[in-house]
Amino acid sequence: MPPSIDPEILGEAADWLVQLQSGGATDEDHRAIQRWRARSAQHAQAWQRAEAIMGDFRAVPGSIASDTIKRIGRNKSIGRRQALNRIGLFLLAGPAIWLAQRELPWQAWMADQHTAIGEQKNLTLADGTRLLINTNSSLSIAFSATSRRIDLFKGEVLITTGHDPSPTYRPFIVQTRHGTARALGTRFSVRVEDESSRLAVVEGSVAMKPAHSSTAVIVNAGEQSAFGLERTAPVAPLDQASMTWENGMMVARNMRLADLLTELGRYRQGVLRCHDAVADLTVSGAFSLRDTDASLRLLQSTLPISVSSLTRYWVAVEPRG
Amino acid sequence: MSSVDRSLNLHVQNLYSEHHRWLHRWLDRKLGNTSDAADLAHDTFVRLLTRQSIATGAEPRALLTHIAKGLVIDRWRRQDVERAYLETIAHLPEPQVPSPETRWLILEALYRIDAMLCAMPEKTRQAFLMSQVDGMTYPQIATELNVSLITVKRYMRDAFLACLSVA
Repeated sequence: MPPSIDPEILGEAADWLVQLQSGGATDEDHRAIQRWRARSAQHAQAWQRAEAIMGDFRAVPGSIASDTIKRIGRNKSIGRRQALNRIGLFLLAGPAIWLAQRELPWQAWMADQHTAIGEQKNLTLADGTRLLINTNSSLSIAFSATSRRIDLFKGEVLITTGHDPSPTYRPFIVQTRHGTARALGTRFSVRVEDESSRLAVVEGSVAMKPAHSSTAVIVNAGEQSAFGLERTAPVAPLDQASMTWENGMMVARNMRLADLLTELGRYRQGVLRCHDAVADLTVSGAFSLRDTDASLRLLQSTLPISVSSLTRYWVAVEPRG
Repeated sequence: MSSVDRSLNLHVQNLYSEHHRWLHRWLDRKLGNTSDAADLAHDTFVRLLTRQSIATGAEPRALLTHIAKGLVIDRWRRQDVERAYLETIAHLPEPQVPSPETRWLILEALYRIDAMLCAMPEKTRQAFLMSQVDGMTYPQIATELNVSLITVKRYMRDAFLACLSVA
């Protein structure tokens, strides 16, 4: 859901876009837009949207855009309306009971942060940026007068950048051993793995740059990619399922049992062994990452397996019987 | 782990085990395609879990079908756009066909453009497309539509406002 922006500010952004496109825009107009967008976080967000809109039109070659749009119009009138009627477009309002997220207070400008296996930690930084640090992670926060930097050494972090109160512009950067991800006002996660760092962008956009490369690649909202030391991976659609850890859950669909156990293993101490005879069983379901014992019990109740544990730190998943 | 977390996770687990099969059947009936229904049932739970707060209301099936309907509409719109795109490039000479790597980026942009255009009245949309897609100047559009330059600017402002509100 996009954050809401004052309609009056959106109206002003629309005026600027008309001015830019009318053919009569001057250098002074461009400078005025720079000043306008610096007025508040909402102004900056509105202009970011404006640039994204222009980017969408630039992304599609003219002849293709024109033809495709005409064809969408033709298909839409018949097929879609029938389809919408069939499903019944009377959307029900969502329930009114919501659970607020809890946060730890945070004062220091610079510190090291660690999470234990199975732990997730919420932090709010001095500039309003929120961090959700996933299991078994380690990072340090290095804010200075000229930049806001997170050094991610291990694990995974979800970042929602805040509007920086600093009078001078300070870029927000996540640094891993593979390179950097530079936020352009946004909500995104970075996960460090052996060969590369994975980047997933929920809102806004992020520029990623491998440590040994001089070229940055932009990853936009709804996209994911990865960067190694030398190069970046192709940009792909965001796999929403990879973001559910924020709520301490994962949703599996026809997942190999061995792969599911590997993922659960990131969230628990000790050894979680999977017998070869059951490794290829497929599993669907919603599993807790915060209470992996409960997830193992759920598996045991739905699959022909037995979960035996000598101690909490030595668990073997084997064929039943 | 706090007791709030524990009960919340238990809640989602129960939601899945009690309603996933029902939701799959419900979608299957609506869509007439069991593998699409399976995709969307899965996506519904993923969507539920990527919300910034999880509902624990008393009407879980109402919430699940609310999310699922949104996903169904979304999917149809994407299919419309993709079909139109494929028809378009089928008519293009080989060298003008975009590479497979850029295909996804173009489709995403087209999908967002479609959503923006849907938010505009007909006249506004027509003027906007002349400017953005056909590359016509405002005076050219005024002549073509037989309206004043002021009116073209008003169409364009309305169009941009619609885009900004959808984006």
